[in-house]
Amino acid sequence: MRFLVIRKADQATEAGVPPTEELLAAMGSYNEEMVKAGVMLSGDGLQPSSKGARVKFSGGKPRVIDGPFTESKELIAGFSILQVDSKEEAIEWVKRWPVIDGDGEVEIEIRRLFELEDFGPSEAIDRMREVGFAKPK
Amino acid sequence: MRFMLLVKADKDSEAGILPSEKELADMGVYNDELVKAGVMLAGEGLQPSSKGARVKFSGGKRTVVDGPFAESKELVAGFWLIEVKSKEEAIEWVKRVPFAGEAEIEIRQVFEAEDFGPAFTPELREQEERQRAQIAAKKR
Repeated sequence: MRFLVIRKADQATEAGVPPTEELLAAMGSYNEEMVKAGVMLSGDGLQPSSKGARVKFSGGKPRVIDGPFTESKELIAGFSILQVDSKEEAIEWVKRWPVIDGDGEVEIEIRRLFELEDFGPSEAIDRMREVGFAKPK
Repeated sequence: MRFMLLVKADKDSEAGILPSEKELADMGVYNDELVKAGVMLAGEGLQPSSKGARVKFSGGKRTVVDGPFAESKELVAGFWLIEVKSKEEAIEWVKRVPFAGEAEIEIRQVFEAEDFGPAFTPELREQEERQRAQIAAKKR
């Protein structure tokens, strides 16, 4: 099963404070362990919400609102995708997150991804499988 | 440049209500367009937060809190990763997402190696490139 690991934003990430060389090195080593264990599928950081936007659909009509967005605790600053055997295993990996990130004050959310099997059989799912949405188990 | 498009959760997604076959088919057609345009890098749906957890780090302590989480408007229900030329192009793609009713999608730019400046040393860059290559080889 796959999990999305979400690193929540904070004042520093939203202010665009760039990671230090020390933090980049610590994340690199942490990622290295997960790659070696065959657990890591991807990982990226997000620029502050000031570089982003939101599109709200109401009655099917889109309306665009430019960032920044104020509720920094609920925003996302980065993510990775892990392939593990259980939620507990995902939690164990997340507990090893580098402590120097966010000066030790960080919140990380772990969310299970849907697999095609979760939707039951249908033509739409068969099509997704054809276009390459089938993921390694 | 790459953008992450975050689909916000709502009561239905948090209740574990699966999309209908029509919604899945409409999304499939939209994804086909993204793929054909060479824009789509990834796209996934998330199970309700009841299947997830949060880990809070504070003063060296780790606290695990199991889901569900209440603030459904701030949760994520799915995402795309796309590669486009500008934020405006990303917005144009988002406007075409086949959502019939009420929905919110957040558009966020993804950091590239160049954005980190000299702190991302040649050695660290090399390490990351090697890791990405290892992951890609495993997927094949």
